[in-house]
Amino acid sequence: MSSRPALAEPQSAEATEAAKAPAQDRTERRTSRLPRPGYLLTKLAAAVVSFAVTLVIGFVLFNLMPADPVRTMTRGRPVSEAELIRLRVQLGLDKPIWERFLDFVNDTLHGNLGYSWEYQQSVASLTMHRLGPTLLLMGTSFVISVLLGLWLGLRSGWRAGSLFDRITSATALTLWSVPTFWLGMILLIVFSVGVGPFHGFLPTAGMSDPTLPQTGMTHWLDVAEHLVLPALTMVLVVYAQYVTIMRSSIIEELGSPYLLTARAKGLTDAAVRRRHALPNALLPSVTMIFMHLGTLISGAVTVEAIFSWPGLGDLTFEALKIPDLPLLQGTFIVFSASVILMNLLADLAYRFLDPRVRDQ
Amino acid sequence: MAVRETPGFRTALAAAVAGGLLLAGPTAPGLTTAAAASSGTTLRVAMDGSGVDTLNPFTAYFNGALDIFGTIYPSLTTIDDNGAPKPYLATSWTLSDDQLTWTFKLREGLKWSDGKPLTAEDAAWTLHLIMTDDVAGTANSTLVSDFESVTATDATTLVIKTKKPKANVTYSSIPISGIPIVPKHIWQSQVKNLRNYKNDTFPVVGYGPWILTEYKNGQYAKFDANKSFVLGAPKYDHLIEQIYKETDAAVAALKSGQLDYISGINATEYSSLQHVDGVRTAQAVGHGWVGLELNPGAKTRTGKPIGTGNPALADPVLRRAIALSVDKKTLVTKVLNGQGQVAEGYLPPAWPQWNWQPDPGKKQSYDPAAANKLLDKAGYKKGSDGIRIDPKTDKPLNLRLGIHSDDAADAAISRYLVGWFKAIGINAKIQAMSMSALNSDLGKGNWDMLMDAWTTGPDPTYQLGIQSCTTLPKDDGTGGNTDSFFCDPAYEKLFAKQATLFDPAERAEVVGQMQEILYDADVDIMFYNGTTKIAYSAKADGLVTGKPNADGFYPAQTAFWSYLKATPGSSSDSSSGGGNTGLWLGIGAAVIVLGAGVAVVRRRAGADDRE
Repeated sequence: MSSRPALAEPQSAEATEAAKAPAQDRTERRTSRLPRPGYLLTKLAAAVVSFAVTLVIGFVLFNLMPADPVRTMTRGRPVSEAELIRLRVQLGLDKPIWERFLDFVNDTLHGNLGYSWEYQQSVASLTMHRLGPTLLLMGTSFVISVLLGLWLGLRSGWRAGSLFDRITSATALTLWSVPTFWLGMILLIVFSVGVGPFHGFLPTAGMSDPTLPQTGMTHWLDVAEHLVLPALTMVLVVYAQYVTIMRSSIIEELGSPYLLTARAKGLTDAAVRRRHALPNALLPSVTMIFMHLGTLISGAVTVEAIFSWPGLGDLTFEALKIPDLPLLQGTFIVFSASVILMNLLADLAYRFLDPRVRDQ
Repeated sequence: MAVRETPGFRTALAAAVAGGLLLAGPTAPGLTTAAAASSGTTLRVAMDGSGVDTLNPFTAYFNGALDIFGTIYPSLTTIDDNGAPKPYLATSWTLSDDQLTWTFKLREGLKWSDGKPLTAEDAAWTLHLIMTDDVAGTANSTLVSDFESVTATDATTLVIKTKKPKANVTYSSIPISGIPIVPKHIWQSQVKNLRNYKNDTFPVVGYGPWILTEYKNGQYAKFDANKSFVLGAPKYDHLIEQIYKETDAAVAALKSGQLDYISGINATEYSSLQHVDGVRTAQAVGHGWVGLELNPGAKTRTGKPIGTGNPALADPVLRRAIALSVDKKTLVTKVLNGQGQVAEGYLPPAWPQWNWQPDPGKKQSYDPAAANKLLDKAGYKKGSDGIRIDPKTDKPLNLRLGIHSDDAADAAISRYLVGWFKAIGINAKIQAMSMSALNSDLGKGNWDMLMDAWTTGPDPTYQLGIQSCTTLPKDDGTGGNTDSFFCDPAYEKLFAKQATLFDPAERAEVVGQMQEILYDADVDIMFYNGTTKIAYSAKADGLVTGKPNADGFYPAQTAFWSYLKATPGSSSDSSSGGGNTGLWLGIGAAVIVLGAGVAVVRRRAGADDRE
C-alpha cells in the first residue's frame, strides 16, 4: 500500500551530495562504471539485513494487532463453539506466538508465502493473480507522472517566476494537496455519470466489462477504457512531486558557470537546457523514481477502492479487515522485497549516473 | 554546432504518445460498447460488499459467496414472505409421531446443469458429508447439529433422523443462509482435497435459477439463466454480479446506467437517488438491528469473573437508567433519515412470525428524568463535575463506549449517546476500533459498552443461542461465542424448549418470552431496525418482491427471489455502458496524437534552425 511520501522527502546521502554540485567534468573519469566487488557485497549484505529486519517487524506488528480473526471471519454465520475451536486449530492460532514466528521464518526461507485464511488458497497464487492489474495501473500512472512531472518541472524551473511556472506549480501543488479519495470520486461523477449537459462515458468499476469477450483486441481496448480514470487520478495526485523536484534542481543549476560556457559556445537556449542542465538536475529525480518504483507493486488502496480495481493494495486492505495474517505477512514480504530491491538498484544506478559516487 | 534529437527524447515522446493512447482508450467510436458479446438481456447487480472468499460452499463464510451459492445450488426448502419454509427441491415433508424422523418428498425428473439426474441421494450425500467430515463442516455444521442420520430411501425420498426433537430442520437447507445441495458425482472425488478445492471449473455444475459461467476474483461473477428452473424461469438471459468496493461508486454506476440494482445503501445515498430519472428506490423491512451492549459483569462458564469491564454495570438499575436515557426516535430520525423503525424486540421485523413488542406499560421509552430518579434512589450521587459516583466502589461513572471505526452510523450514534449519558451523570469515552479488535475485546470481556449490530436469517435459533450461558468462555478464556456475557436460567430453559416446539405459534410465544427477558435485562439495548435500502433501474421490473406494508416498507428481500423475478422492461438494454463513449475517446485520442505531432514538428523545425 503506498501512501504519498512528503514532498520534501529527504534524499539519500548520495543523492543529496550529487544534487549539490554538477558533475560536469567527464574527462577526469578514471574509475570503472562497474561496482567493485566489495561495494556490491556491502550493498547486498545491507539489503539482506534490511529484509530480515523488515520480516521481523512485519510479523510482530501484524501479530500484535488486537484482533480476533476467527470471530470476525465467521461473524453473521451460525457457528458453534466447537467449530470456532476447530477453526482456530486449523489456522494455527492455538500455537504460541514464538512457534508461529518460527513457522513463518521457516516458510519464508523456503519461499512459501503461506495460505490465506480468508480466500483459502496460497498467498503466492493470490498475489500473482493481482500483480498484473497492479502493475498495469501503477506502471501506466508512474510513466505518465514521471514524464509529465519532469517535463513541466524542467520548463518551470528554467523560467522560474514566469506565468507558465506559476500556473504549473500552483496546479501541481493544488492537485497534490487534494485528497485522493475526493478527487477520484469527483472524476468518477464527472466522467462516468456526467454533470449537467455533459454525459459521462467512462466505466465506474473494475478493469473490464463482463459483457464483452475477455480476450483479444476488444478486451484490451476495454481494459484501457477502464484504466483511464484510476490512472488519471493517480497521475494527478502524484506528478507534483516530480515537478517540484525537477524545478528546484534546475533552479539550482541556473547560475552555474558550465551553463555560461555552454551558452558561450553558441548553443541555443533549448540545447543548453536539455544537454547540460537536464543531466545534472536529473539526479535527485532518479532517487525519487527508484523510490516510487519500489512502491509500485503495493498498489494504491484508495484509488483501487474507488474504482474497484482488483490490485494488490485492495487485497491487502481486505486482508487487514479480518486480519488474514498469512496474506498480510505474504504481501508485506513482497512489498518490502520490492522496495529493498529498488533501493539496491538505485544505489547501483548512481554509480553509472554520477562519477562522484563511483569515486567514493 | 549540430544539435540532434537524442534517442532518449524520441523514446520518451513515443512513450508519452503511447501512454496518452492508453489513457484515451479506443479510437473507434463505440467499439467496446457496441460489441456486446453476450446476446440477450443482462441484469447487472452490485455484489454484496463482503465479496467472495471462496467458491467452495463447504468452507465459505462471506455473504457474496453465499448469494452465489443460493442462485446456483438448490436447497430442500425456500422461504415465503413471512420467512416460513416452503417447497423447493422438497414438495412436502412430514414428521414422525416421536418427532425424531423427518421425511422429505423431493421432485422427480430434475437434472443438474450437466444433464445428470438430481436425486435425494445428492441431498443425503451433501448433508451426511457435513455431519461427518471436519472440513466439509467448516461453515455449516451447526445447521446439522443433532442430526442422527440422513438417508435417501429412494430417488425422491430423503429421511432425516434427529437425536432429539428439532423444530428448525426445515430451515437447515434454504437458499443463501442454509446448506446448498451439491452434485455428488462432481464432489465425491474432491472429498480428500476439500480444503483446497476451489470449485472454479466453469460452468459450475449445479441446479438453480442461474448457472455460474465465470468468476474473476475481485471483479465479477457471471451467470446464464436456467430457463427450465422449476420455480419459474428467470426472465433475464444473463446475470452479472459486479464487485463495488465503494457503495458511492455503485450509486454512480446506477445513475449512469452501468448497473441495474444495488441493495444495502445508506440513508444519504438513498436520499440522493430518490429523485433521479431512470432510478427507482424502495425500502424493505430491516432484518437486523443496531443497539448497545452493556457488560453485565463478564464471567466464564463456572462463574469466574474475567475482563476489565466496569463493575458498576452489573447493577440492573444503572443499566435500566442507561436504557431510559436513549432517545431511539431521534436516532431513527437523525441517523437513519427516518428510514427505519424504533426497535424493542431482539428479533427484527423482517421475520414477522417472531415479532415481539413489550406491553405498553413496560415500554422503556426515552425518559431522562426517570433515569435520573432511578440513579438518585439507588445512591449514585453526583460529583462536583456532574458525574455520578458508584456507591459500591466510590469511583465516578467513567465508561468506555466501543464503536466500529469503519461505521459512519456508529460514529453518529455515539455522539448522541455521549450527550444523553452526560445528562444522567455518566461520562462515556468513545473508543473507535476495527471490527476485529472489537470482537477480540468482546470475547475477553475487556469492555464497558459496545455498539453492536446483527442481521438475522428466518430461523432465530442461532441469534437466540448467542445469549445462552453455554456460549460463555471457559475458565482459561478460550472458547465461547457469547454476544454480551448474558446468562439467565429462565432464558436457558425457554431456549431449550423453543427448539422442540413444532407448532409455529407455540414456538413464537416462547421466543417472545425470551425476548421479554432480554428486554428487561438491559444487556442488549435495541436502538433501531434500519430498513434495507434498495435502488434499481427503471428499465427493470419485478426486482422488489412482495407488497409494501402501512409504512411503505416491502417484505425482506433476498437475492434469490429478486434476481429470479426481475423482468427486463421494454427499453431494457442494460449491457450498454454509455452512448457516446467511443466518440469521446476518439476525440481525446485524436487531440493527444495531434498535440504530439505538433510537438514533434516544432522540435524538428527548431533543430533545423539550430543546424
